[in-house]
Amino acid sequence: MSATENGWQPAPDLPPPSSSVGIIGWIRQNLFSSPLNIFLTVVGLYIIYKAGVPILDWVFWSADFSGEDQSACTSGGACWVFVGQRLSFFIYGFYPESEYWRINVLFVLLAVLIIPQMIPAFPHKKWLGWFFLVGFPIVSYVLLLGGSFSLPHVETEKWGGLMLTLVISFVGIVFALPLGTLLALGRRSDMPVIRAICVGFIELWRGVPLISVLFMASVMLPLFLSEGAHFNKLLRALIGIVMFQSAYMAEVVRGGLQAIPKGQYEAAAALGLGYWRSMGLVILPQALKLVIPGIVNTFIALFKDTTLVLIIGLLDILASVQAAITDPAWSAVAAEGYVFTAVAFWIFCFGMSRYSQGLERRLDTGHKKR
Amino acid sequence: MSDTASQEPAETKTAPMIQMIGVHKWYGEFHVLKDINLDVDHRERIVICGPSGSGKSTLIRCINRLEEHQQGRIIVEGIELTSDLKHIEQIRRDVGMVFQHFNLFPHLTVLENLTLAPIWVRKTPRAEAEKAAMTYLERVKIPEQAKKYPGQLSGGQQQRVAIARSLCMNPKIMLFDEPTSALDPEMIKEVLDVMIELAESGMTMLCVTHEMGFAKTVADRVIFMDSGEIIEQNNPDQFFDNPQHDRTKLFLSQIL
Amino acid sequence: MISARARASSDTLALIKSKGFLSCGVNTGLPGFSAPDTNNNWTGMDVDFCRALAAAVLGDTTRVKYKPLTAKERFTALQSGEIDILSRNTTWTQIRDTSLGLNFAGVNYYDGQGFMVKKSLRVKSAKELDGAVFCMQAGTTTELNLADYARLNKFTYKSITFETNEQVREGFETGRCDVLTTDQSGLYSHITKLSDPDSAMVLPEMMSKEPLGPVVRQGDDAWFNVVRWTLHALINAEELGVTSENIEQMKSSSNPAISRLLGTTGDMGAKLGLDNSWAFHAIKQVGNYGEIFERNVGRLSPLKIRRGLNALWNRGGIMFAPPIR
Repeated sequence: MSATENGWQPAPDLPPPSSSVGIIGWIRQNLFSSPLNIFLTVVGLYIIYKAGVPILDWVFWSADFSGEDQSACTSGGACWVFVGQRLSFFIYGFYPESEYWRINVLFVLLAVLIIPQMIPAFPHKKWLGWFFLVGFPIVSYVLLLGGSFSLPHVETEKWGGLMLTLVISFVGIVFALPLGTLLALGRRSDMPVIRAICVGFIELWRGVPLISVLFMASVMLPLFLSEGAHFNKLLRALIGIVMFQSAYMAEVVRGGLQAIPKGQYEAAAALGLGYWRSMGLVILPQALKLVIPGIVNTFIALFKDTTLVLIIGLLDILASVQAAITDPAWSAVAAEGYVFTAVAFWIFCFGMSRYSQGLERRLDTGHKKR
Repeated sequence: MSDTASQEPAETKTAPMIQMIGVHKWYGEFHVLKDINLDVDHRERIVICGPSGSGKSTLIRCINRLEEHQQGRIIVEGIELTSDLKHIEQIRRDVGMVFQHFNLFPHLTVLENLTLAPIWVRKTPRAEAEKAAMTYLERVKIPEQAKKYPGQLSGGQQQRVAIARSLCMNPKIMLFDEPTSALDPEMIKEVLDVMIELAESGMTMLCVTHEMGFAKTVADRVIFMDSGEIIEQNNPDQFFDNPQHDRTKLFLSQIL
Repeated sequence: MISARARASSDTLALIKSKGFLSCGVNTGLPGFSAPDTNNNWTGMDVDFCRALAAAVLGDTTRVKYKPLTAKERFTALQSGEIDILSRNTTWTQIRDTSLGLNFAGVNYYDGQGFMVKKSLRVKSAKELDGAVFCMQAGTTTELNLADYARLNKFTYKSITFETNEQVREGFETGRCDVLTTDQSGLYSHITKLSDPDSAMVLPEMMSKEPLGPVVRQGDDAWFNVVRWTLHALINAEELGVTSENIEQMKSSSNPAISRLLGTTGDMGAKLGLDNSWAFHAIKQVGNYGEIFERNVGRLSPLKIRRGLNALWNRGGIMFAPPIR
């Protein structure tokens, strides 16, 4: 029986009172609802004003933006001329100027691959994603290192700046996720030997600080290798970082695996799916989706941890800035350099964070209990 | 008669589909199955009932080796269940299972849930698998939900999808593990209707359930279990009207 | 560790000639010694020494691969054979020379821990620093040197330590201390960063000896000789008045010392396993020691370090190279 047939109708919905909606309503409710609240709002605004104006003044109004050298910085604010003059160093390191185009191509390619992922309606996103994880690293390797396709070889000692930071983080991310996933699966394996190996690996790498891993890679490892086998310092650092990160990633993924109900494993098994297929088709897609915040958190931590490579003499963006600010041709420009680095890091980390939130929303299939 | 029956080789018709011979199982110290001997014939429909903790779920979960038995033999379609993974996977392909909590894959659409195993295990081409899936969805009367995700369906609809998912593998045996226990009362009927329809088509079925109406309608045999033992088994008429064992009587008096 | 040191003692000179470049370990960023310049090239005194070596051995200053190294990894990089020469403001001490499997080939900069004071204090000597407040970097030998020096000279002091170089300078500039102490070469680079570079001065005293020089692996005498005599050639060139500008005219000089240096007479290069024009290439392409000094840290650089100890022996310093003959 429907309601109308009984002659009964639900009461009509009334609009909420105007004082509780709109900007005015929001301000009244949130900022000026009580004397204490009013007081705190006023104090807060005062602090923002007192702190914000000098910062804005330093960053923008009193800053010098154009010029060639120190003499252009006379206004008393930030000397962005310095950052502008050394920008190529901060981005490309010692990479030869005639080969900058290779890095630029990769920057453009990176943008072309990432931006569609932000647009929900864009077609073929899945293939772009796979290319990003598999094809892009190969293209990057060929382009950056050169030595083939008549591209001149650029040894890794010349890599530096933002480009090196991105290379290290990207390699860390692309390799740590699959390796960490395998380790997480191994840790939950029924086979005692595999489980022991995985637990041992994870606990070993999680138990040491990244700094000591990097020191081992740069200082100890060369002594153990036979002569002539002293392989590239960057490669050693990358392996160390990947090992270290995959151990962390394994624990994140394990959390996701544990959250998957037993019924999912059983349903997959009952359908005749073997171990790898149930993992690959049923369990991991759900588990990884559950831990996207944790994964991205690890990625962001990794991205910032890459600055530690400066202690083994790799000139990432922070180390490049640190090397440049000692240049006696410029007066004290440390603040400018560090602000620039911070902003660069913030842009990438914030981008990753927003992207993960978008990804979570898009992958939500409504099965989560809210 | 269903077409699956006509394709059966002659000899498997005479041999039992499932043989359980002296099966014991322990969970740690807890003896959960005690000397189970059970033959299930081709196209036989068996309902297993009993108080909770009596081992009835464990029994059917041993048949597709979601649980491992420690003693005795279980032979399904002439293949003995051992730790040999190949045999296990072979049997699982032919034995469908429906769970109390549906266990649909929440990250896949209804259609993808149905086609996953046919495509990856049976290597059926996608188009063909989707076509078959749609006929099964029609059979459980929810073809219009094919593109939805399980989280968007009601419990009864989810359980019907789960049944259709098992059927997509063309199983020779269907196991039901309390398929209606997690459902709201108004949804039980829609699931039972599908199960009755399936039973009438001639599927070999083992069904753990407390739905005695279902047992009376379709079962060839009702088995009562308690404390890991098969206490009594009989055809439904005899079982419900004339139970032999005191424990059976007590149990029936409590649920009817 | 022992085997690691022993194994890398093969023929470095032949190796460099066959691979066509020199692997040079440098500082990751120390103004005047080794730092990236505005065009993203390595520059500095230590870098120039590697360039001179490349010119001497391979005839071309660009045939160098620079490997920026931190203080902790520098010796390993040399021991393991990752670099052919360590040219990274490394202090020559007995322990390093005798127990690390390394050899110091000479000194290209005599440094030492010094004092920087505000001119307004009107202090002319470290002896007048009794009761002063010192700013310095934490966790270096700076603190120990100062303690020893104060005990020896019987003055009391207070010290404030900072984590980074910038913070030390900031502390000095904001008046938290009267004196800033670190290696003298570092003091000059601090001065350039002060908002008023004329407000401070470096006192003449040094409280520690820090002779900096290039380092090679022990047990490879041929390469050791090349490095040592290239350094001597640069210093001798300054003494003989041979510069990168006048070197072509100098080739016809009647001074036999110059003729031997530039390879017009004698077989000096061949005795090192090099071309006889080895020193000619190095001086022509990089300059003599004086030119290198003035360009990177001296009058022509923002650091404006005076020659001091690093002047030639006959001009008030202690730079003294054995003769090439």
